[in-house]
Order: sequence, then structure tokens, then C-alpha cells
Amino acid sequence: MPTITLRRTDLAKLAGRSVSALNDAALHELLALVKGELKATGAGTDELKIELNDSNRPDWWCAEGIARQFRLHRSPASVKPLAPKRRGRLPQINVERAVMPIRPYLGAFIARNVPIDAVLLEQIIQTQEKLADIFGQKRRTLSIGYYRLDPLKFPLTYTAVTPLGAVFVPLGMDHPLTLEAMLDEHPKGREYGHLLKGATLLPYLKDAAGQPLSFPPIVNSREVGEVRAGDRNLLVEATGTDLRLLVLLINLLAANLADRGATIEAVEVIYPTNTPLGRRVVMPRDDSTSMTLKRETLRTMLGEQLSDAETVQALRQAGHRVSRTGAGWKVTPPPYRGDLMHPVDLVEDVAMMRGYGRLAPELPASFTVGSVTARSRDEELTRGWMIGLGFQEVLTNVLGSRSDVLDTMGMDEPIVEVSNPLSLQFAALRPWLLPSLLRVEAASGHAFYPHRIFEVGEVATVVTAADGSKRSRTDLHLAALLASPTAAFSELHAALELFMLGAGLTYRLTPAAHPAFLEGRAGKITVGAIDVGWIGELHPAVLERWKITMPCVGWELDLSRLPQAAPAPPTLPG
Amino acid sequence: MSQSIGQLIAGLHPLERKALSAFAQQASVWDHELLQRTGLDESRLAMALGWLLAKEVLAVEYQETKKFVAITEIGKKYASNGLPENRIIDLIKTQQDISISELRQRLNLEQLELSTAIGNLKDFSSVSIGKGGFLTLLFQGKSALHRIERLTNILRVLQSESPKNLDSFNDDERQFLTGDLDKNWKTRGVIKWIEKASKRFNLTPMGGDLVARLPEDAALDAIAQLTPEMLKDGSWKGKSFRKYHIDLKPPRVTAGAAHPYRQFLHEVQTKLVSMGFEEMRGPLVESEFWNMDALYMPQFHPARDIHDVYFAKDIAPSGDIAPSLLERVALTHERGGKSGSKGWRYAFDRARARQPILRSQGTAVSARTLARAPKVPGKYFSIARCFRYDQVDATHAPDFFQIEGIVLDRSTTFRTLLGLLKLFAVELAKAEEIKFLPAYFPFTEPSVELHVRHPRLGWMELGGAGLFRPEVTEPMGIDVPVIAWGLGLDRMAMVAMGLHDIRDLFAADLEFLRTLRPPSTLSSGVGGGGEAAD
Repeated sequence: MPTITLRRTDLAKLAGRSVSALNDAALHELLALVKGELKATGAGTDELKIELNDSNRPDWWCAEGIARQFRLHRSPASVKPLAPKRRGRLPQINVERAVMPIRPYLGAFIARNVPIDAVLLEQIIQTQEKLADIFGQKRRTLSIGYYRLDPLKFPLTYTAVTPLGAVFVPLGMDHPLTLEAMLDEHPKGREYGHLLKGATLLPYLKDAAGQPLSFPPIVNSREVGEVRAGDRNLLVEATGTDLRLLVLLINLLAANLADRGATIEAVEVIYPTNTPLGRRVVMPRDDSTSMTLKRETLRTMLGEQLSDAETVQALRQAGHRVSRTGAGWKVTPPPYRGDLMHPVDLVEDVAMMRGYGRLAPELPASFTVGSVTARSRDEELTRGWMIGLGFQEVLTNVLGSRSDVLDTMGMDEPIVEVSNPLSLQFAALRPWLLPSLLRVEAASGHAFYPHRIFEVGEVATVVTAADGSKRSRTDLHLAALLASPTAAFSELHAALELFMLGAGLTYRLTPAAHPAFLEGRAGKITVGAIDVGWIGELHPAVLERWKITMPCVGWELDLSRLPQAAPAPPTLPG
Repeated sequence: MSQSIGQLIAGLHPLERKALSAFAQQASVWDHELLQRTGLDESRLAMALGWLLAKEVLAVEYQETKKFVAITEIGKKYASNGLPENRIIDLIKTQQDISISELRQRLNLEQLELSTAIGNLKDFSSVSIGKGGFLTLLFQGKSALHRIERLTNILRVLQSESPKNLDSFNDDERQFLTGDLDKNWKTRGVIKWIEKASKRFNLTPMGGDLVARLPEDAALDAIAQLTPEMLKDGSWKGKSFRKYHIDLKPPRVTAGAAHPYRQFLHEVQTKLVSMGFEEMRGPLVESEFWNMDALYMPQFHPARDIHDVYFAKDIAPSGDIAPSLLERVALTHERGGKSGSKGWRYAFDRARARQPILRSQGTAVSARTLARAPKVPGKYFSIARCFRYDQVDATHAPDFFQIEGIVLDRSTTFRTLLGLLKLFAVELAKAEEIKFLPAYFPFTEPSVELHVRHPRLGWMELGGAGLFRPEVTEPMGIDVPVIAWGLGLDRMAMVAMGLHDIRDLFAADLEFLRTLRPPSTLSSGVGGGGEAAD
């Protein structure tokens, strides 16, 4: 979710409020209107750090959008689409066939008399970055460019050229580079170049005089694509792969500059082939379709009957155009809102604009019976027995390293590993618990002995099917470890004996070799015909790998494989 | 010390009586003398002296660092088998002109032991080595034998008492140990020197009185330990019992105990069951389908990025998704399906849905329940381990528990959802002040966050909830409103346990675990009563 930095004075000016009306306490309340949270205020400056939590409302990720919502909430008004007047022929941009397979769509508008100062420039850049990064999936689906309008000669051409087919000085550099060199040398080329991987031609925007504007979605020309404080007239352009989102983005950027006092003029884009919006697409444009919010839907979802006036008021506080219909209301959202997919989205708008605090909580009335799963019950019984047997419970992580769960134990078998680990330390799911207990022992050499510890927890087992494919299964294991200068098999065996008695199970031990245990002092635990675990004295080579200098005995049981207890009466040992 | 001498005598431990017996003739005694006279081993004597010092019966009169001689493992071996020098002389006596290699074989000595011993014998002019490595005895080996006897005697003494105070040897032995042995022998480390603090104890004036009264004290035959035999034959009758000093620090024992955080989760579970919630469980390795697609998170959602979710390597695509359900979910994503939604309007990748990942949110378990014809009305919860792609630090553990669930009820409204959250706030956090704030989750609308006021930390988020979008419920065939809720109790649990690092919830240090107290959040309100100070 984006966190943005605003100026309190700028926000107040845009919202039509005094700076003191937007003090910290007031902001904490008001920001609920945009699902925002005041994270920090700059000491000695008027900076505000605000986190916006709705990843579907990019119109709130900027000072203009937040201020607009504040304004609307105070004085409800439908947000009208920007209806730029045609002054004769519209400025045009021709899209050439060559760019269509690479990054086909482009939209643009002209903003005149934009009062660009340092603050606005900083806000424009921030909005551009946040939108392209989060709404545009790191520029993959959308990227944005701002240009000084005055030096540009229309019509512009959006085309694709060979990597050496265009040369200009990119933003942030002072010498001309080919597009290929920009991919290699420019920081943005290195960051976003992968978006054009495999393309033999590269997107390129130029004007009628052949003057380069940019290499979308990588970088602008420094000559006309660097906006500075004091500039007045701008061309704003965006390219991308999704035409619907592109329209929303252009509408949003135009609304923001209009709120800053600019005059918005439309630009026509002419495609070589038909697009979902035709061959000639003029933006900004209002593609919003209306949606019907039924009176009944609102009432049953909110659990409260609102009057018609209250509903209309709340919808207009969200900026919607509203008209009454027989069953409810016909609602048309502002032209930059793409988040409305279902009437339930309007229900939230109404609830939010009225304030959640105005809805009285009501206890659910239905009666239901609570219960835990058999696995949790096993888990709880097991914990109780083990604690009763004098063992300290430990709780460790499921995600660890292959080296811990296999290599140090002298084992090699299929386990669930992560294909995109952040670090090798956390790259594998444990297939058993004993390594976790040894990790505890390794960290506890200073702790008063003896150590009797156990864990009951989930492990991920890999099951190989007949066709060789591997699946993962989540099992519940119990492991116990005894570490002391005199730790011996018999002591832990005695605890296993009592545990099995408690579980009502008859078991037997069969001597067997396991790389983690000393041969002749280890074996399989079997119940009926099922092998359910291992018990044994840990091999000194294993202890050495863990850097443990205390003899250890351990056992591990797969509780998910234990059969239901036999009804036979228990027999106490010895 | 407020106790009378009589009380003190009655409470004397047999070890204390033994220790004091050494003071009957002599008011001030060295600790090594005490060892000898009482016959106690060092640790028991130390215990008794500790108690007597604490009771101010004894005092440390003088203390100095003393040199002690200790026998080593090799010294012990020679004490029982004889010194190699001695064995060599004995052998040469019976067989003149013996070669070194035969000597070694016959005596079963290590190369180094043998050469050192022969070196010593040569230095003492007791043997000479002839041509071909044959040994000849000189002067019957007398000059060596005299020294060997001395060292052997000392080793035997040390065998029964080691380390032994240098002062406790006679002058002759002392000179040998510090002079001849030190300078002229290559000893192979048969003894070692230890510096030890040596103490001389004396009776305090009260201790003097106490010792003076000891012989006449009848408590000597007081019963120290009641036995089954005494109870059977009644011999305890008419006897007195030695009194204990019950305020002495006891020995440490270990105990079985629950892990405090695990116990906390168990209490949360119990609380939820008491509110009518049924538990759900799900696998650690999930498919993208149950973790995200079924929850209407579009496949281009930022939280589904390779940098936000762990993908499982070499695990086959999930087989537990009904093809018809997958199709309904796919169509809902693309154009809204039959949910009445416009959908996300993109091309849904059906193969990707089956891709295995590590569960990143507990809501995956709820999604599985929705598809399994849940009860209506029905309340469900799960406490599920989840994995997030984050650097492990004080606020991010490699995996963590999410407490989540759903409520299905035909009469559910946003107001009953708020009612449920308020119930959670009161029941699980004893919160007195709460507030609801708008929130965003891709799968709910409307969505809300529950905030509670913590006495010390101020307002904090306790959980989030919302009504599942129709795009989630309709493909599952659910036609009642469904509340999805999640609780974030970790932070409160940590505050209550006095922890500041989430990794401490999974700490490996046993001594730390033994001292950790379970959070009292559930029983005594937000933050609890017994929390550690910051």
C-alpha cells in the first residue's frame, strides 16, 4: 500500500480548509474517509506521511484526491466528467503499427496554466511514481510521462524503432544515448528494461519535427520531458497494455491538474487498427457506466433503513451522480473510479460516508455449537501428557533451512523447498521436529540441566505418487528430547512407555538404523502394522554438527498416523 | 540471629554436627584439616560450612591462596601400575642387555613414555645405553630407585586425596615436590599444581557456646529421616525429629511446563469455541487457488508477486480443486460470472491457480470451508501458520499464526458484523473503548478494522473483518451473507509477556523459556496485569 508525503498547507489549500482545521487530531478522524492513516508528521516542516490502505482506489493516493474527498464530504456534489471543449481540430497522436505488439495503448491530455512550483512538482512526481509502481504494476501495465507543451509540434508519433534507431539525452544524464544504451546504462533502463525483454523494436514517442519525447516505459528526453518549476503548459501522456485502466489513469491525472486550477484540453489518439474503443480515441473521456443500488440490498446489508435523502446525500459525498429509480438509485461513479464492480461497493461508500461509528453494533442472534478438530484435541491431550511427564514445551518455526532439517541429521530425502527464497536460512519446510529441538538444545548449553523438552507441531511431508509426482501433506508430529550428562535411552523410553499408555496404544520397538541415531541404540516405533516414529540416542556426529556437547536422546512420533486408541484396559509398566 | 542456642542446636543438620565436631579440641581449623578430620567429601563439607557461616556459628578467620598438588589421569595409572622407570629397572634386573624395542613390547609403553623414562634413568646415572640400543643397569639403579620410591609414595597418597594441600606434606616430601621432581624429572604430567583459596575457620563466641553444649545435647539421636520401617514398627514414638531450616534455598529442579505463547493460543481457541465457533484446519502448502483465486484476489494483485509469496519447488500442481469450481471462479474473475459483478476484466490463468505455494493467509482455510458446504448458521475459526515473504526481523518471524474465521448466517448485516467484533474486543481483550475504521481487503465489502484502546500503547488494531464479496461466495454456491474476520493478537500477547521482538515468541533459549510467563490478556484485560516494565 502506498505511503505518500504531503504538505499540510498544500492539502489545506486544495481542501478549502485552514491549516489549523487540518491539525493532527482532525486528520486522524478525516483520513478514515480515504482509508488513510497518519503515519508521521515532519518535525519543523509541514510534511505529513500518510498511508493509504485501499489498493483499489488510486485516486486517493495523492494530495488532490484526498482533498477532493474531504471537500465532497463537507459539500456533497457529483463529480462531473471533464468535458473539454473542442477548439477546432484536436491535437493528435498517431500510433504506428510497429508498436502495437509491444506496448499498444497511449492516452494523453493537455493542461494549460498549471501553476507549477516546487511543491506541485514534488507532488506530480510522487503521484507519477506511486501510480506507475502500484496501479501500473511497476510500469508493466501503465507508465506516465509529463512534457513541456510549448516546444512540441503536433501531431506526435508513437512508434517502435530498432535499439539503435533513436538517440536522445535522457532525464538525469548529460549526453545522448541510443535506446539500447539507455537500457544498459540508465538506472531506469536497468530497473525496467526487463519489461521489453525479447522485443526487437522498442517503443518511441516523437513529435512532428522529429523531436524525441520519450522511450516509454523507460525514460523521457531531458530536452522536453523535464518539467521545471515555472512551467505553465504541459502535455501529460501515459502508455500501457490495458486500455480501460489507461482511460481511468488519464481521467485521474486530468482531474488532479484541474483541481489545481489548470485548463484541460483533450488529445486524440489515432490507431492503425481497431481498439476496444474504436480507431480514434479521445481522452479524457467518461466511460463510467451506471449501476443500480437497490433499496433492499442497502437495507439488508447495512441492517439499517436509511431515508432516500440520507442515501442520496451519502452517495453524493462519494462523488457519485445519483438518480432515483423504482427499486432504488441509479448511480454513476466519477470517471476516474474503476473499483466499482458490484453494488456492494456502493454499500461501503454509503456506510463510509455516513461513518461506521453511526452504525450501532448488534449481536449475532443465531445459536451455533463450538468445537475443535480431532487433530487439535490430539494436540491438546498430547501437550498435557508431555507436560505431566516433566517436559518443557517449546514452539519453533516451520520454515527453516535444508541444512538444519536434513544435512546436519545426516539425511537426504525429498522435502518441501521454496523456489524463491529470500535467504537459505528460511527456504525449506521441516519434515520432522527433532532438528527444531536440537536447535533449542544447541542454544541452551548454559541452561540448568537436565533438559527435557518437547514440541507438538505441524510438519510438511512429501509424498511421491506412482507417477513420480510429488505432493505435500501436512502432518502433526510430537518430538521429545532429553539432554543431560547421563542421558540414556532407557530414561526417554520410559517416558514413551507412559505416553503410549496414556494414548491407550500398544507399541513395539524394532531395532533399525537411522543416520541421526547411534546404531544399536535406536529403533522404529510401531503401532499395529504402522511405523509411527523413531526413538534413539543421537549420534555424536550429529551432535557435533549442531555444536552440542551434551548427550541427547530423542523420539519423534507422527501423531497423524496413530490409530484410534484400542478400547483394551491399560497395563502399567513394570 | 534471633534464634536461641537451643533452637540452633535442635536444628543442626548431621553434616553441620560433623563439621563442628572438628572444633571440639581446637577453636580454629584449616579447611584441609576439616576434610581429614570429618571424613566428609568436599561438596558436603562446603555445604555444611556454608550453613554454619550463614548461622554465624563459624567465621572465616584467615584466608590465603595455597598451592595444591593434584594427581592426573596418567599419575593414577602409574600409582597402580608402577612408574615406567621402576618397571624398566625391574625388567633389566631379570634380563641384562635388553634392547629398547623389546623393552617397549614387554612393558606395553607408549614410545614417548618409554623414551622419557629412559631419559630420566640416564640422567640419574642408573642405566647406560650400549651399542645397538642395549640397556645396562648401573649401581643397581640405586640413585633412581630412591627417587622412584618417593614419587610412588606421593602418588599413592594423592590417589586417596587430590588435590592435596602442599602444606600437608612433610618437609622431605615438600622439598622433593618443589625441588627434585620439579627440576630434574621429566614427569610426563603425573601431577599438576592448583592454586586454591584456603580458609581457616574459627568459632564465633556464640559458636563456642554452642560447641560447648553439643555433647550434652540429646538431639543427637533425633530422627533425621522418617522411614517406612519406623512407621510400621512404631519406633518413631517418643523420639524427637531434627528440625529443618526451612528458609534455606532449596536445590533447583526442572519441571514440565507449557509454552506461554502456545498456551495463549490455546486460550484463544477455548474462548472462540465457547462463543460457538467450530475449528477448521488446512494444509501448510496451499495452492494459489485456495490462497487467492477463490478469494477474488486478481492474479495481477501486488500481494501475489514473486516477492510476496513463497512458491513451493518441485511440488505437483494441486489436485484438490473441482474443475467446475475452478471454472466458475475463473469466469467470475474475468467478467463477474453469475455474481452480478463486472469482474476484474483480465484473462484468468487456470494453470496458475493450481500452483503450490506456502500458505500466506489464514483466509485460505476459510475458502476451503466455503467450498465444503458449511453449516448455516455456522461459525468457524482457524489458527493457521502462515508464511510471508519478508526479511526476518523484530517484527517479522519466518512464520506466524493467524487467527481467522467466518460466520454464515442468513440474518447477517454489517451491524451484526460490528456486533461480533465488539464481542471479540470485550471477550478477548477486555477492551472498554473501541472504534471501527474503514479498511480494505480484496475479498470483503464493506470492510472494517477494529481498534481498541490499550492502557499504555494507546489505540491499536485488534482485527479486521468484512462481508465476503458476492464474487467470493457465489461461485462456491453460498447464498447467505458471510462475515470474514481476522484477529491480530500477537502484539498484545507480546506486550503482556514483556517482549519486544516477535522472534522471541519462537525463542530457542531454554532458560529464557523457563522464565517466560504466559500473557494474561484473556483474564485481565488489554495488556494484562503482570506485564514487565519497558
